[in-house]
Amino acid sequence: MITLESFLLVSALLFALGLAAVLTRRNAIMILIGIELMLSAANLNFVAFWRFGANPEALTGVLFVLFSIAVAAAEAAVGLALIIMIYRHYRSINPLKFNVLNG
Amino acid sequence: MNYIEFTVFLLPEIVLLVTALAVIGIDCARRGKAATGAGGTLASASLCAAGILVAALIILIMPQEGRIAGGMLVLDPLTRLFKLVLLAMTLVAVLMLMETRPVRHVGENFAVMLFAAIGMMLVVGTEELLVLFIGLELTGISLYVLVGFARSDIRSAEAALKYFLFGSVSAAFLLFGLSLIYGFSGSTELGEIGVAMQAGGMEPLLAVGLVMTLVGFGFKVAAVPFHLWAPDVYQGAPAPAAALVASASKVAGFFILAKVLLLGFAGAEGGAAWGGFQPGWVPLIGVMAALSMVVGNLAALVQNRVRRLLAYSGIGHAGFMLIALMAATPAALASVLFYVVIYGLTTLGAFGVVTVVLRAREGDRLSDFAGMSRQAPLLSFSMLIFFVSLAGLPPLAGFFGKFYLFTSAMGAQAAPGGQPGMLWLVLLALVMSAISLYYYLLVLKQIFFVEAAEGTPVIRASKTGTWTCSILAAATIVLGCYPGILLGPIRLAVGAAF
Amino acid sequence: MADASWIAHLLWLLPVLPLAAAAGVTVSPPSRRRRAAAATIGAQAVAFLIASALFLVVLKSSGGGDEIVRQTFNFTWFNFGSSSLELGLLLDPLNAPMLVMVTFVGLLICIYSVAYMSNDANFVRFFAFLSLFSAAMLGLLVANNLLLLFICWELVGLASYLLIGFWAHKPSAVAAAKKAFITTRIGDLGFFLGMIWLYAEAGTLQFYAGGAGILEQSTLTQLAAGITIGGMALATAISLLLFCGAAGKSGQFPFHVWLPDAMEGPTPVSALIHAATMVAAGVFLVARVFPLFAATAGPDLVSTALTTVTWIGAFTAVFAAAIAVAQTDIKRILAYSTVSQLGFMMLALGVGGVAAAIVHLIAHAFFKALLFLGAGSVIHGCGDEQDIRKMGSVRRFMPITFATYAIGMMALSGFPFFFSGFWSKEEILHVVHGWPQSPVPFYLALAGTALTAFYMTRQMRFVFFGNSRAETAAKPHESPRIMTVPLAVLAAAAVLLGIFATPAWPWFHRFITGGTATVDFGRLFTAGTLGLMFLSILLVGAGVGTAWVVYRRLPGSASAPDPLERRLPRLYRALADRLYIDELYNATLIPLHGAAGRAADGLDRFVWNGMVAALTRIILLLSALSQITDRRLFNQGFDSGCEILRRSGGRVSGAHNRNIQARLVYIGSGMVLLFILFAWI
Repeated sequence: MITLESFLLVSALLFALGLAAVLTRRNAIMILIGIELMLSAANLNFVAFWRFGANPEALTGVLFVLFSIAVAAAEAAVGLALIIMIYRHYRSINPLKFNVLNG
Repeated sequence: MNYIEFTVFLLPEIVLLVTALAVIGIDCARRGKAATGAGGTLASASLCAAGILVAALIILIMPQEGRIAGGMLVLDPLTRLFKLVLLAMTLVAVLMLMETRPVRHVGENFAVMLFAAIGMMLVVGTEELLVLFIGLELTGISLYVLVGFARSDIRSAEAALKYFLFGSVSAAFLLFGLSLIYGFSGSTELGEIGVAMQAGGMEPLLAVGLVMTLVGFGFKVAAVPFHLWAPDVYQGAPAPAAALVASASKVAGFFILAKVLLLGFAGAEGGAAWGGFQPGWVPLIGVMAALSMVVGNLAALVQNRVRRLLAYSGIGHAGFMLIALMAATPAALASVLFYVVIYGLTTLGAFGVVTVVLRAREGDRLSDFAGMSRQAPLLSFSMLIFFVSLAGLPPLAGFFGKFYLFTSAMGAQAAPGGQPGMLWLVLLALVMSAISLYYYLLVLKQIFFVEAAEGTPVIRASKTGTWTCSILAAATIVLGCYPGILLGPIRLAVGAAF
Repeated sequence: MADASWIAHLLWLLPVLPLAAAAGVTVSPPSRRRRAAAATIGAQAVAFLIASALFLVVLKSSGGGDEIVRQTFNFTWFNFGSSSLELGLLLDPLNAPMLVMVTFVGLLICIYSVAYMSNDANFVRFFAFLSLFSAAMLGLLVANNLLLLFICWELVGLASYLLIGFWAHKPSAVAAAKKAFITTRIGDLGFFLGMIWLYAEAGTLQFYAGGAGILEQSTLTQLAAGITIGGMALATAISLLLFCGAAGKSGQFPFHVWLPDAMEGPTPVSALIHAATMVAAGVFLVARVFPLFAATAGPDLVSTALTTVTWIGAFTAVFAAAIAVAQTDIKRILAYSTVSQLGFMMLALGVGGVAAAIVHLIAHAFFKALLFLGAGSVIHGCGDEQDIRKMGSVRRFMPITFATYAIGMMALSGFPFFFSGFWSKEEILHVVHGWPQSPVPFYLALAGTALTAFYMTRQMRFVFFGNSRAETAAKPHESPRIMTVPLAVLAAAAVLLGIFATPAWPWFHRFITGGTATVDFGRLFTAGTLGLMFLSILLVGAGVGTAWVVYRRLPGSASAPDPLERRLPRLYRALADRLYIDELYNATLIPLHGAAGRAADGLDRFVWNGMVAALTRIILLLSALSQITDRRLFNQGFDSGCEILRRSGGRVSGAHNRNIQARLVYIGSGMVLLFILFAWI
C-alpha cells in the first residue's frame, strides 16, 4: 500500500527539481519546463490529498487539478510566445543576457 | 447547481468577455482592409469603454446578493464596491492606451486589458481557492501579454519575460501552498479552511503551506523579498499596462490577500507585538512589511527614472498596507482597502501624466519632466496632487489613508506591557514616509522649478489625457477633504462581510 | 425642516464656487484673460444669486416672533478613535445680509477690475487672487465653527497679503503686504490662543450645536463662572484674546497701522479689503461671538470685555478721523476714514448694539466700496495721480464719477435723511447714548461725526472743485462704462439702503435681532430720537460747513501749503483779511484740528511704527540666534544622516541589478527566511 507520505515526498522532490531547473539552467525553455514541474508537483499533491482525504466523493481535488493543468498549458503557451519574442531581440534565450533594464 | 444563477452572478464578467471578443472581431475585420490606425484605436477604445460602463451599470443595479457553489462566486456590498473600483481603473487604463502611440493589433491590446479586468473581478468575487487561482492566473497571463505588447521594443519584451518568469514561479509556489492547505483542511473554501485551522493548531504541513501561499501573494502585491520584478516591469512595460499592474492588479491582490488571511487563516494569526512574537502569519507579514518599507523607500531615493521610482515607492506603500493587515480586525481591513484604492487612483494618475511625458519626450528621466509646469499647467498641477497625496500630506486623500492605516495598526495586538504592540512598525513607517517625501519632491522640483532645456520637445496633452488626470486629481482632493465618501461605504461593506 | 438639505448644499457651494474658480484660474495660462475674468465674475454672480436665495430663506423663516431663527448644518469632518472633529455651516439673520453684501460688492468690484487691471501683465493671477479672497470671506461667514472660521480667517489674511503685494515690483507694495500680514498675524496670535483655550474649556468649537455649542447657554454659564488669573472670568479672558484678532483684522487701535499702507495694492483690492471683506471680518467675528463677550454681563449688557471693546472703538473712531484731516493721498484719507468707521462699529458692538453695528457695516460696505472705486476712477482718469493737491476741478471732466462720489461722500459724512450712512450712524449714536457706564464714548462719537464731515468735505473740495493743479498737461477723462456702471449701482445701493434702517421703520435692525418691524413715523419724533438727530445734523453741518469755508480758497498750486499747514503769522494775516467767522474758526478750531491731526499722525508714525520696528529688531536677533544653532547643530547632523540614507538607497537599489535567475533566488531565499522565522518563533 502506497501511503500519502510517499506521494508527498515525491511531489516535494518534483517541486525541488523544478525549482533547481528554474534557478540553474541557462536556457529559458528549460526554466519554463522547471516551472511546469513545480506546477505538476502541486497537482500531484492535490490528487493525493483528494485520494487519501476525508471525503473523496466530493471530487474537489480532481477538479482543481483539471483546471490547473489547463491554466498551466495556457501559461506555457504565453511563456513560449514571450521567449520567441525575446529571441528576436537578443538572438539568444540565455536569461543571463537579458539586462537592458537596469536602474 | 443552477446555470441561470451562474450566468446572473457572472453577468458583468460576461459582458466584458463579449465586448473583448467583439473588439477582436472588429480588429480582424479591419485588418483585411487597411493597416490599423487612429480610427481603429478610437473604435476599439469606445467599444471597451461602453462595455465597461455597461458592466458597471449591471453591478450597480443587480439585485442578487449571496454566495453560490460553496463560495465560488460571492456577491456582497464589498465585492460589488471593489468590482466597481476595478472597472473604473480599467477604464482609465483604456483611456491611457488611447493616448499612447498606436501599435499594431491595437484591438487585441484592448481586448487583453478586458481579460485582465475579468480575471481581477473573479479574484475579488470569490471565497474559494480554485476560482481564486484561476482568476489570479487569468489576470497574470493577460498582464504578461500586455506588458510585452510593444513588440518592437526590446525593453517591453524583456520586462514581459521577467514578469512572466517571476509570475509563474510565484504561481507555482502559490499552487503548492494551496495544495498543502487543501490537504490540511480537506476543503477549498476559505470559511471551512478557517474553521479547520482554528481546530487543528499549527502543524508543520500547514506551516509550509502558509509560507508558500504568502510567497505567491507576496509576488502579487510586490512585497519584499518577492518584489524584484516590479522596477523592471514598471519601467519596460507600455505605460497603460504598467498603470494597470500598479493600480488595479494591486487592489485586487490586496483585496484577496486580506480575505485569505482574515477568513481562511483566521485561526493562525500568531503575534508580532514587540517582545511577544507568536508563530503564525502575522509575524511573517510583519517581516515582509518592515523589509518592504525600508527597501522600497530607500531604493526610490536614488532612482532617476520616474516609472522606476513609482515602482519602488509602490513597494514601500505595500509595506504600509501590510502593517494594517497584521491588525486583522475589520476596522484595519477597512483602512487597508481605503488606502489601496487611494493608492491605486493616485498611481494611475501619475502614470497618466508619465504617459503624456513619454509620448512627448521619449523618456521618463527626471530631467524629461523639466519645465512641464509651463507647457501643461493642469497636468503638472495634477501630478503635484498625486505626489503630495502619495507622500501623505494633508489635506489630500493619501494623508487620511495613512492616518487610518496607522491608527488602526496602533489599536491592535497589545504587547506584553500593554502598550500598542505594533508601535515599532508604525514608527518605522512614519520615518519611511518622511523619507518618501524627498523623492516625490525631486520630481515636483523638476516639473515646477527647472526650466526645460533648449530644444526639448514641448509637452502637449490631449483633451482626454488632461481630463482624465484632472478628474483623478479632483477625486484625490475631494477624498482628502471628505474621506467619508469612500470610507463610509467600505466600512459598512466590511461590517456586513465580517 | 423638510427643505433643509438644499439650504446646506447652497451654503457650502457659496465658498466652494469662488474657490473652484480660483483653482481653475490659477492653473490656466496667463494668456487666457477673458476666460479668467469670466470664470471669476461668473462664480461671483452665481454666489450672489445663492446668497440672495439664502437671504430670502432667512427672511421667510424669520417672519413674526421674537426668536432668532438659526439653521445649522453640522457634520463630522473625520473620526479618530472615539473622538471626532466636527465642523458646521450656519445660516442666520446675522450672516445672511452679510453674504448678500459680500457677494454683491465683490461682483461689482470684479467687473470694475476688468477695466482697471486691463493693462496689467498679471491680469489672470489677479483674478485668481480675487476669487480666493472672496471664497475665504464667504467661508468665514457661513462657518458654524470657530476653527473653520479661523481657517478662513487666515486664508483671508493670505489673500490680502497676495493682493496688497500684487505689484511686487514696487518695494513699497511688498513692504505694505508684509506689514499687513505681520500686523494682523500678531492679532491672530491672540485669536489662536483664545480659540485653543476655549476648546480646552468647552470641548468643542461649534457655535450652535443643539445646546452644546460655545455660544449656547450651558457653555456660556460655565465659562462665565470659571475664574482665571487676576480674578477675571474665563469668558472675559477668552473674549479679550479673540478681540485681539478682531482688532488686528479690523484695524483697531493699536493694530491699525497696516490699513493705510495697504493702499499700495491696486485700487479694486483696496475697495475689497476696506469694504466687503477683510476689515468686515473683525467686526463680524465680534458680532458672531457676541454672546461670549456678554457672558458675564447682566441685562444692561455691561461686561469687562464689552467695555474694552467700547473704549477701543470710541478712541479709534476719533483718533483715525483726526489723522484723516491731515492727509493728502486720496486713498489714504479713505483708509483712515475706514479705520474710524470701524471704530464706530466696534463702539456699537461694545455697548450692545449688534444690529446697529452690522447695519452700519453693511451700509459702510456699500458707500466705502463706492468711494474707493470712485477714487480709483479718479486716479485712473488723472493718469495714476493719487495726491489730492495735484488734482482739482475733476468735476468738470468726470461728471459721473463726481456725482457718484458725492453720494458716497454724503453717505459717509452722514448727510441727513436721504443717505444710509445717516441712519446707520444715527442708530449707533442712539445706542451709545444709552450706555450706562460713561457718557464719554458718546462725546467721542459726536466728535468723530463732525471730523468725518470735515475731512470728506476737504477732500471733495480738493479733488473736484477749484482749478486744476495737475503738473501734466493731460486732461482727466471719464472712465469707461464698465467702471462707471458699478459706481452707479453702488451709489443707488448707498441711498436705498437707508430706507430699511430709519427709526421709523427699523426693519433691518429687527431682522438681525429677531422680531418684526412696524412703520411708525411717531418714533422719529420721540424726544430722544429727535434730539439726537438734531444734534448730529448740527455736527455734520458744522463739519461740512467748516471745511467748506476753510477750503473755500484752495491753494493755487500743488506745492503751495495746505491751509491747515500755514504757519501762525500767515494765519494772523488771513484773520485780518477774513470775516469774523473765519477768524473764530482759524483761532480755535483749525490749530486744534491741525495739532490734533499732526499729533495723532506723529503718534502713528513714530510711536506705533517705532514699536513695530523695535519688535522686528528683536525678532530678527532671535532668528539669527536660532539660525546659528540650526546650522551648527541640526543641519550638519541632518546632512550626514541624509547622506547615509542616500548611500544606503544606492546600495539597496544596486542589489536589484542582477540577472533574472539571481533575482529568482531571492524568492527561494525569501521563502527560506520565512521558514526560519517561523521555526525560530
